[in-house]
Amino acid sequence: MNPQANAAAPLLDVTDVSLVFKGVSALQGVSFQVRAGELFSIIGPNGAGKTSLLNCVSGRYQPSAGSVDFDGRRISGRSPAIRAQLGIARTFQNLALFAHMSVIDNVKVGRHHLMKKGFLAGGLYWLGGARDEEYAHHAAVEEVIDFLEIQHIRNRTAGTLPYGLRKRVELARAVAARPRLLLLDEPMAGMNLEEKEDMARYINDLSREWAMTIVMIEHDMGVVMDMSDRVMVLNFGQKIAEGAPAAVAAHPQVRSAYLGSGE
Amino acid sequence: MTPRSMPHLLDANARAHPDAVAAREKTLGIWRTFTWGECLRRTRALALGLRSIGVGPGDVVALLGQNRPAWVFGEIAAHACGALSLGVYRDSLTEEVGFLIEFCGARVVIVEDEEQVDKLLELGERTASVAHIVYDDPRGMWKHTGEGADPRLVPLARIEAFGEQALRDDPGAWERLLGAVDPGAVAILCTTSGTTSNPKPAMLRSAAFLGHAQAMLEVDPRTPDDEYVSVLPLPWIGEQVALGSWLLARFRFNFCEEAETTAADMREIGPTALLWPPRAWEAAAADVKARMMDATWIKRALYGWGLALGYRALERGGRSALADLIVGRALRDRLGFSRIASATTGGAPLGPEVFRFFRAIGVPLRQVYGQTELCGVYVMHRPGGAIDFASVGRPLDYVELRIENPDRTGLGEIVVRHPGMFAGFYRNDEATRADLRDGWMHTGDAGILRDDGELVVVDRVRDLAQLAGGDAFSPQFVENKLKFSPYVGECVALGQGREFVTALVCIRFSIVAKWAEKNRLAFTTYSDLSARDEVAALLRREVEAVNAQLPENQRVRRFFLLYKELDPDDGELTRTRKVRRGTVNERYASLIDALYEGRPVVDVDTTITLADGRRSRIVTRLKLQTPADPAGAPHAPREEARA
Repeated sequence: MNPQANAAAPLLDVTDVSLVFKGVSALQGVSFQVRAGELFSIIGPNGAGKTSLLNCVSGRYQPSAGSVDFDGRRISGRSPAIRAQLGIARTFQNLALFAHMSVIDNVKVGRHHLMKKGFLAGGLYWLGGARDEEYAHHAAVEEVIDFLEIQHIRNRTAGTLPYGLRKRVELARAVAARPRLLLLDEPMAGMNLEEKEDMARYINDLSREWAMTIVMIEHDMGVVMDMSDRVMVLNFGQKIAEGAPAAVAAHPQVRSAYLGSGE
Repeated sequence: MTPRSMPHLLDANARAHPDAVAAREKTLGIWRTFTWGECLRRTRALALGLRSIGVGPGDVVALLGQNRPAWVFGEIAAHACGALSLGVYRDSLTEEVGFLIEFCGARVVIVEDEEQVDKLLELGERTASVAHIVYDDPRGMWKHTGEGADPRLVPLARIEAFGEQALRDDPGAWERLLGAVDPGAVAILCTTSGTTSNPKPAMLRSAAFLGHAQAMLEVDPRTPDDEYVSVLPLPWIGEQVALGSWLLARFRFNFCEEAETTAADMREIGPTALLWPPRAWEAAAADVKARMMDATWIKRALYGWGLALGYRALERGGRSALADLIVGRALRDRLGFSRIASATTGGAPLGPEVFRFFRAIGVPLRQVYGQTELCGVYVMHRPGGAIDFASVGRPLDYVELRIENPDRTGLGEIVVRHPGMFAGFYRNDEATRADLRDGWMHTGDAGILRDDGELVVVDRVRDLAQLAGGDAFSPQFVENKLKFSPYVGECVALGQGREFVTALVCIRFSIVAKWAEKNRLAFTTYSDLSARDEVAALLRREVEAVNAQLPENQRVRRFFLLYKELDPDDGELTRTRKVRRGTVNERYASLIDALYEGRPVVDVDTTITLADGRRSRIVTRLKLQTPADPAGAPHAPREEARA
């Protein structure tokens, strides 16, 4: 367990969230809390509502009922941009990079909302302080590039990279925002064993070394059970279990719903 | 003439040129400079810090990691304490690291990062002699902190802080430390590549080592404006001598960002001097060829034309300005060789074709020759003018070299002595006695010293093979010929005590894969690709072309395409990628028998260890390949060319 995870104040508080699409109920009254510094995983079968739930936190979807609080502030109802400004960043299950831009520019996009200088100051590059700001952001981006070990591809066009590396670039973009809450949607999907091991190491280091609070959806049970502080299980839009990895894995309903009831 | 020790030189450089750029390291995307003053400050702090944790004369300080400034500071700091530095190759297996640490009884190990820390901690009891593990990069070290952590782990920054504190408490501490350094004492332990056994650390004395670097500089001078990129591992003698020359000539030492960024970083720096083993030159040449296969027909035509002009000019002993305009300049720029003034290759023979290629595009590539025991290079082609591809050049003036027990052609063992050579192997008198007799180093290399003073190296004495008919031949010579084919990655020529020569050939995966793609040949893995009949036909043609250039008794009569690449991790190659013949003969004994029995197919079912430590089973069928005889009378029906 990460010693920095403290029980006192939840950073993310999701209360009774429901989501209905034209009569199809995707989420039904899901509640959970994530403490600062925690690595929290959401698992469940396909269509269980994991990504929908993540979208409710990031602001892509507005819940039909219930509330989402971040650091004591109600964020349900606010736009994704505002949530980003508050310090929430995410990656996508299906990559969403700017394929024709270089890796470094893609990562810089992650810092866009932190840039203060506007169109005018940008035009007066040397006078308006835009240059200094650019330097500072560049330095922050390079730190992330170093952390995720993608120096060798920093000037490559993102779209030409192999899948495993594109996933890493997407993570870099999310991390570049230096978010207080990082949402990862299947960061290891479609990777080979070596890529998975690397990715697990990066996520672990982000959690332990940069003390980032992380909510992760992941299918690879080995990874989830190894890395997570706590795990929540969704099935048909409902929460069926939550707790320490070992306890969740032993939960009878979880075993039948997700892990298979073979034993 | 007073090169005494590395710390002395660093101290003198920092006093005379405190603000001149001594080194650069690319970090976070930017080349950061280190002045001589800064190098001294870091080294001094580290030295006094090491002293404060008990490092003293005679102790061994091992260094393990990528080429970084901290590695260099660590080495010089160890010398300042009177300790011996021992460079350990960064990609060594845990087992090899364990052997060296245990054998040398290292007291402190300076490592780059968590990866190397893990390696050391995995060794458990075998690192009993190690009192402190000093790590540079704290990244990922959260695993090793808190309760139950190894108490020997300490960050490099803390050691430097100790040193700075020691200097504040006692401002004369550094001068006293420096004053106590004995230039005649052994300072560097440099491991031999160990083709046959565990690596043996050769002991090099400070003043002798620097004297040798100085002698090299007199033949191949450097100025403070020269740029050097440190690419090869620092534990290697060539890189160690480069370090010595750096301190003597004060050129700029550049450290790459990561191993993967080397090519791009090199291009940014544009080094003026470069010493690469043949492997790296071959790879660069093969890479150019592979890229040209992908180029448009116009580019290919220009490339062919320009290269032909370059070759023709080279034969006349000059250079073609037109060839330079068409391909030379652009290629040199691509490769990062635009400013190169001194380009050398050493460690193993390099095929004349590769030589010609680089010289044709205007890279003044020269051969050098040396051994770890003899402080690296001591024979070299002199800079400037034409060179003889067959020889490795002339010995330095202060080197004594003779051929022992020459046969009627003058071929015999190369035996050498010079003042810069090693003082014996560390803790291994038996090996010292075997190689060092009456002060002469027996290199184990077979060569001829020609009347014009040029040395021709043929092969290792023990690697000269004898065919059953009594003819001697050098397997390596045949292999080098074969390896110039872009499709051949690695190969082993066989024939000791046999009637004729055969070979095990490994395809060069990157290039054959590209070829397969072009010819619409589907494949999955390396083993699968090399088992394809089309690939076999391609390689057969390549071998036939090589056979045409070989004397009749040295032609490759039969070969197999191996189902895996030869790999240092499997012990089949050394870390510098020389073939370990013993291991290969043993591991592939059944294949070798099949070659000589002429069995048309061999079924293989084996397990190999992959680079990431996983094991993988391989089930495949190897087909005997019989190249046609160049003189006609084909042994096997020739298949239609598809390329």
